Amino acid sequence: MKTATNKTHNASMLAVAIPASTILILLVIVSIGAEWIAPYDPLKQSLREALQSPSPAHWLGTDNLGRDVLSRLIFGGRIALISSLEATLIAVVLGVPLGLFIGYRGGWWDWAVMRLVEAVVSIPGIMVAIVIIAILGPGLHRAMIALGILYSTAFLRLARSVVLAEREEVYVKAARVIGASSNRILLRHILPNIAPPLIIQVTLTIGAVLLAEAGLSFVGLGVQPPGASWGTMLNTAATYMALNAFLAVPPGLAIVITVLSVNLLGDVLRDSVGRGIAISVKPTTPTAKFAESTTTSQPKADDILHIQGLQVVVNSKDGSEFPVITDLSFSIKKGETLGLVGESGCGKTITGLSILGLIGTGGRVTHGTINLNNTELTSFSTQQMEQIRGDEVAMVFQDPTTSLNPAFTVGDQIAEVLRVKQGMTKKQAWARAVELIDRVGITRPAERAKAYPHELSGGMAQRIAIARALSCNPKLLIADEPTTALDVTIQQEILDLFRDLQDEFGMAILFVTHDLAVAADICDRVCVMYAGELVEMANVDELFAAPRHPYTAGLLSAMPHASDRKPPLPTIKGTVPVPKLWPTGCRFSERCDYSQKACEQLITLTGTTSQVRCIRANEINMGASI
Amino acid sequence: MGDKPLIEINDLWVTYWARSAFQLRSKPFHAVKGVSLSIKAGQTLGIVGESGSGKSSLANAVLGLVPVESGTIRFDQHELSAMKTRYPAAVRKQIQAVFQDPFSSLNPSMTVEDIISEPLRVHTKMSNDQRRKLVIELLELVSLSKDHLKRHPHEFSGGQRQRIAIASALALQPKLLVLDEPVSALDVSTQNQIINLLYERRDALGIAYMLIAHDLALVHHISDRIAVMYLGHIVEEGPADRVYKNPAHPYTKALLDAVPLLDPAKQRARRAARKAQPAYDTPRDAQVGCPYKNRCPQVLPKCQTQAPAPFPVKGGGVASCFLVADAQPTSEAL
Amino acid sequence: MLRLIGQRLISLIPLLFIVSVLTFSFTALLPGDPVDLIIGDEGTAEQYEMVRERLGMNVPIVTRYFQWLGRAAQGDLGTSFFNSVPVMDAVMQRLPVTISLTAVSALIAVIVGMAAGIAAALNPRSWIDRLATFGATLGQAIPNFWFGILLVAFFAVSLRWFPATGFTPISTSPWEWLRSVTLPALALGLSSSAAIARQVRSAMVGVLQQDYIRAARAQGLSRRRVVFKHVLKNALIPVVAVLSFQITILLGGALIVEQVFAINGLGSLAISAVRQQDIPMIQGIVLVSVFIVVAIQLTTDMIYGFLNPKARPS
Repeated sequence: MKTATNKTHNASMLAVAIPASTILILLVIVSIGAEWIAPYDPLKQSLREALQSPSPAHWLGTDNLGRDVLSRLIFGGRIALISSLEATLIAVVLGVPLGLFIGYRGGWWDWAVMRLVEAVVSIPGIMVAIVIIAILGPGLHRAMIALGILYSTAFLRLARSVVLAEREEVYVKAARVIGASSNRILLRHILPNIAPPLIIQVTLTIGAVLLAEAGLSFVGLGVQPPGASWGTMLNTAATYMALNAFLAVPPGLAIVITVLSVNLLGDVLRDSVGRGIAISVKPTTPTAKFAESTTTSQPKADDILHIQGLQVVVNSKDGSEFPVITDLSFSIKKGETLGLVGESGCGKTITGLSILGLIGTGGRVTHGTINLNNTELTSFSTQQMEQIRGDEVAMVFQDPTTSLNPAFTVGDQIAEVLRVKQGMTKKQAWARAVELIDRVGITRPAERAKAYPHELSGGMAQRIAIARALSCNPKLLIADEPTTALDVTIQQEILDLFRDLQDEFGMAILFVTHDLAVAADICDRVCVMYAGELVEMANVDELFAAPRHPYTAGLLSAMPHASDRKPPLPTIKGTVPVPKLWPTGCRFSERCDYSQKACEQLITLTGTTSQVRCIRANEINMGASI
Repeated sequence: MGDKPLIEINDLWVTYWARSAFQLRSKPFHAVKGVSLSIKAGQTLGIVGESGSGKSSLANAVLGLVPVESGTIRFDQHELSAMKTRYPAAVRKQIQAVFQDPFSSLNPSMTVEDIISEPLRVHTKMSNDQRRKLVIELLELVSLSKDHLKRHPHEFSGGQRQRIAIASALALQPKLLVLDEPVSALDVSTQNQIINLLYERRDALGIAYMLIAHDLALVHHISDRIAVMYLGHIVEEGPADRVYKNPAHPYTKALLDAVPLLDPAKQRARRAARKAQPAYDTPRDAQVGCPYKNRCPQVLPKCQTQAPAPFPVKGGGVASCFLVADAQPTSEAL
Repeated sequence: MLRLIGQRLISLIPLLFIVSVLTFSFTALLPGDPVDLIIGDEGTAEQYEMVRERLGMNVPIVTRYFQWLGRAAQGDLGTSFFNSVPVMDAVMQRLPVTISLTAVSALIAVIVGMAAGIAAALNPRSWIDRLATFGATLGQAIPNFWFGILLVAFFAVSLRWFPATGFTPISTSPWEWLRSVTLPALALGLSSSAAIARQVRSAMVGVLQQDYIRAARAQGLSRRRVVFKHVLKNALIPVVAVLSFQITILLGGALIVEQVFAINGLGSLAISAVRQQDIPMIQGIVLVSVFIVVAIQLTTDMIYGFLNPKARPS
């Protein structure tokens, strides 16, 4: 889904970037040509013309000494430009090399320099500048050296943190294994990656220096009178505010517009040079057509969940929508475990989330029905969905260390659900939470309830997540790859726990996994998904003994423990296509050894108790590939 | 080739010193504890273990990415552990690596050509034309083409990125390739493509592999020998077929048993034989006795105090378990 | 919590040491001889020696540093070169003014920034978000002293709702204090509000995408509850981390904003001290400001430790 460039986004970026850079280019031109462009000498006094309002002779009026405001503004722009570039240059030249050096070198150097930086940063910036000016004396260039030194700490910290972050990247490890020297790693491998944040920091610094220079000149420590700078002009304006309030407008607006342009340009750069954003797949072939559901079936009496003809679309960044799930139908009986199997990007997780109504803002259900315990969910309001969630259907996620809130204790997180959903008192809820923690096989439950998620191992955190999901006795539990992030021996414990809890709580489970062997272990029935559609559904024994879809058969034979032969091991050629590039007709056809001309048309799902989406399912014999 | 191994590791310890900003004392964490093993030229040793077993630390020590606390690593006449991660170019050229995460192991700011030619730039004085010719050859070996030369890593799928990493690692024709979980981030249908590629390259070039993975079944396909690690120790080592089909150590058995079978009926029978267990939450680091004693279903009283030495196993290899020793009390007499 | 405080205090030792050395070494770095400045051009050699001794400048610099540090530790920051007022007294007289200005503006910045940031994050790409984002960008581009001038021109000179200049201590009249502090605090707080709004927005957006938020919603907790309990506590962690930095900026900005409103705070004291090269005064002002900044840092660290269990020492 991280595909396709963002047209609307690009357009809005250009809408900002073009005026911002136009203003800055204008500023540069005006500054260079100040002598020719300015109508008057910025220092020429004429006391008879003091404090005039704007007129044809003086477009922006005159100040207390009768000097032309427009001319002073233009020459002030030159000062602003030169000084901000000067200070930023000093900051970069001082900060970046030192930051790179201490970041890569580490140890004592790093410690000492960072303590010094901390000390400088803990003094208010303006005060550091004032002190440096106290040493060097007032004046523009001295003030800029002061600001350069001050802002070099920002560049130093930036360069250092980039080096520290990149140093941990695997590609740096790889470069060391190749035998690249430290200097080579720093200059050739790490340095190019510092450019994006550096450019952004430069724009931020130019803006900040402009503001600081104006501030220092305003209080009389920067540009000295009678020199024209935006800051000194504002000083004059402040003094004569009661006589001519307009004096404050031109220099103030000049500062705001310039700083705003620089900052906006920085924002645009940040959004466009960020890593990984450049991923782009050209909008290619017509998006695949897909079969609208042809069969309609009603939920049976003992069905907990009945999904019929489900289609889910997500927003592409260019504003168009494309389907990620099409024509999906299945049902789960009370107390049954149904497996949803397939590789990454086939739509398994979205299926789980669409049952809960939690696809997120980027996606929506466009067709089909989701019937949970004889209630139609697709037409439910947010409030109605909130009542169903937790009570009727709950979910366990893939990574237990990220699916628990790091800021609350685990007992708190279970008790909260019990309080909110079951109306228990604080005390009751806590007692029940401890009971549940005990029930999922965690020793010393009262003590463990007070632990924060990061204090638990992955397996233990997943047990907590399961306890929370089951706290309100839901009729359906959606388990999204609940063992994928765990070690294999822990996976076995968790799978046993699921089965054990199902005996006690009697809930049905929708078990989403990419691992066919896990499905073989825990499921009663299995649905195999490929590229957003169901390709095969069968009883677990049947599916593993005699897969009927070539994709199922291919996956089975590719499992590491499917055989103990030496390579070449069986493979499926190619890779799973991204949703926008699904072929018309059979979506597996490009990777299938059995595909024919006829596979280019739409293929429907056939069968009742066991189903397959392949026109050659009855004619070819995949056999038991195990 | 003779009997002399290409790489020989003897009683290796790798220790990290956990240092927090406020603590004056630092605590040692022993990631690898007294590991000994060897790999012959052109052979593959699979190293299997769960997270925290120290298998990646072992790989990093061989690659000179972390310093060795004690013990020796001898590689082809060179004593690596004495070099303290500063390997001379002659050694670096011979040991290359492929890492797990294909999304962070390639520098995002470099092109495919830069990435694959980087080892050649560092170690050889080829002309630009020669180098480009070789890079194209390497790309074709891993089923990519010269159209990909100027692309950046983010334009490739996980499997393709791993192919690029392999091409770069093979550029210098190393004698040893360390593969740290090379396929675990990939989809099932892509995994075998990479395994097949590695296998084919090994036989064509005669490289030795040190293959680190968490999946015994996967390792077994291309390994000559397999070592199983648990909490920094090697608990079992031996010929791949023997370890996979007749595991001797209770931990190896547990690892194999924990992988669900693809046959639901057999899997049902197997799980009926065991019952739900509480969460494993005993301290990770067993200070005395057998490292596996806290989880072992067959733990003996003496396991609490004595650490079992490696005992020879019937069919080849060793296992550090008293049960193995007791099963073959008179192995010398046979 | 006590351990956290203790650890932070220990880690402050090198910081305070470096700041004190930096502050003290201004003396050595300043051009010109302060003794000459004091006795003027017509001073005799005897007068010179006398003043030199009175200023304690006749002993080695290292000794002088430790003497100075020892006295500073007891609250004696020396006397001004120019009017012989004890520096501590002069600073303490001005400090409450600057602190109340900084505190009120910090309060405004936190309230406005949080409200705008949360509103923007909860309605991504809506007009609220666009307005808040643009307001934040604009707010960061407006110089605080110019904003102050505009506020004075409008609310004080034209509308006469607030006094244009001056400061009334809170002890004299709380109402007048509030009137006198409102405009300068608004002027000062604007850019920090903008910075905090941006920070809150990006932190909230980041947290909203986390698995545990989805998990809490999957558990049937209402959106409102999830946002104000689960999201906010996590989103505040990075915000609090930059809060002390923002307050440090406010403290510095106060020096300049005070000039617009003719408020006799630390700002005018510092600026005149720089002009007169009044070394003890500059040293005193810097040391006292660093002390305040460190106290703020300690407080925000406490809040950080409260919000983030991972930051607590185990």
